[in-house]
Amino acid sequence: MIIIQIVLILAVILLLLFFLRHHGKSKTAASVKIGFSLFMIFGVLAVLFPDEVTTVANWLGVGRGTDLLLYGMVVAFGFATINTYLRFKELELRYAKLVRAVAIQNSEQPQEQKEPVKVD
Amino acid sequence: MAEWSDVWLVVPVYNEAQVIRDVVRHARQTFPNIVCVDDGSRDGSAEQIRAGGAHLVRHPVNLGQGAALQTGIEYARAQPGAQYFVTFDADGQHQVDDVVRMLKRLKDEDLDIVVGTRFKAGADTSHIPWIKRLVLRTVVMLSPRTRRLGLSDAHNGLRAFTKKVADSLNIMLNGMGHASEFVELIDRHKWKVAEEPVEILYTEYSMAKGQSLINGVNIVFDSVVRSGAKR
Repeated sequence: MIIIQIVLILAVILLLLFFLRHHGKSKTAASVKIGFSLFMIFGVLAVLFPDEVTTVANWLGVGRGTDLLLYGMVVAFGFATINTYLRFKELELRYAKLVRAVAIQNSEQPQEQKEPVKVD
Repeated sequence: MAEWSDVWLVVPVYNEAQVIRDVVRHARQTFPNIVCVDDGSRDGSAEQIRAGGAHLVRHPVNLGQGAALQTGIEYARAQPGAQYFVTFDADGQHQVDDVVRMLKRLKDEDLDIVVGTRFKAGADTSHIPWIKRLVLRTVVMLSPRTRRLGLSDAHNGLRAFTKKVADSLNIMLNGMGHASEFVELIDRHKWKVAEEPVEILYTEYSMAKGQSLINGVNIVFDSVVRSGAKR
């Protein structure tokens, strides 16, 4: 199990760093798509050739191919979640700017009142 | 009255129709310029703000206190003659006398920002609910930045600052995480900061409206993910 542990932990750390640093650039978006395609291809291959996947799994120190697939899934799901979270935050920020612009455009000065308070 | 004409009070308001009018009225006896940001309230807060005689900026939807503060500051810093800015709570917790003291320090001493504190050494804190005290103390202890800056109460909503600070202020966290963000900004821009002991009135009304402690989890999460993303 030791090799897979190292591989998975490294994958998580590197992906996380990469993600948080370069989030929002088109290059990152592209590599996320490539990574996702590779993962899908891997999934198809795993269905077609379960024995080969088990061989790879054994080589990495995992018992069965399905387990390897499961580990991969967990990591992929984690990153999909972070990606979505960051995307939402970004949208929220843009949305806030829009709301702010509308709000300031429609701002209301206080009505003149009996007591002399206005300065300008 | 004219003494404080270069000061703007920024008051984020969310569903405070019961109290906001009196809070504005009272504050206006000292400070002529008040902008209330109605953060999408559904309870007629806007009417009460108009009646109180403050400038009114309305978010069409609810965004959160951080966003409302930023809106208010952007509005206030665009006003001619605005030199000093104060963030002030809508629920009547903050005292006008405290604001005056903070502004005097800001004018007399070489400072960029003065933050209110409930925990100055020797202060009597027995009126603050103990659980709140415990949590606020823990937050300060866990934040090396807050301690380095010598701040004892990072989550106090009462702050006074200069035009320089207002101009470079850009609060990104819409929700309640903005208090920590303020501390981070003070640190990053190397603003000269000082604390002034203030009194927070824990009325029944403000207690019912106040922050639930569990929301602290959200604040911590937002702050961590965000600071990671910025580096």
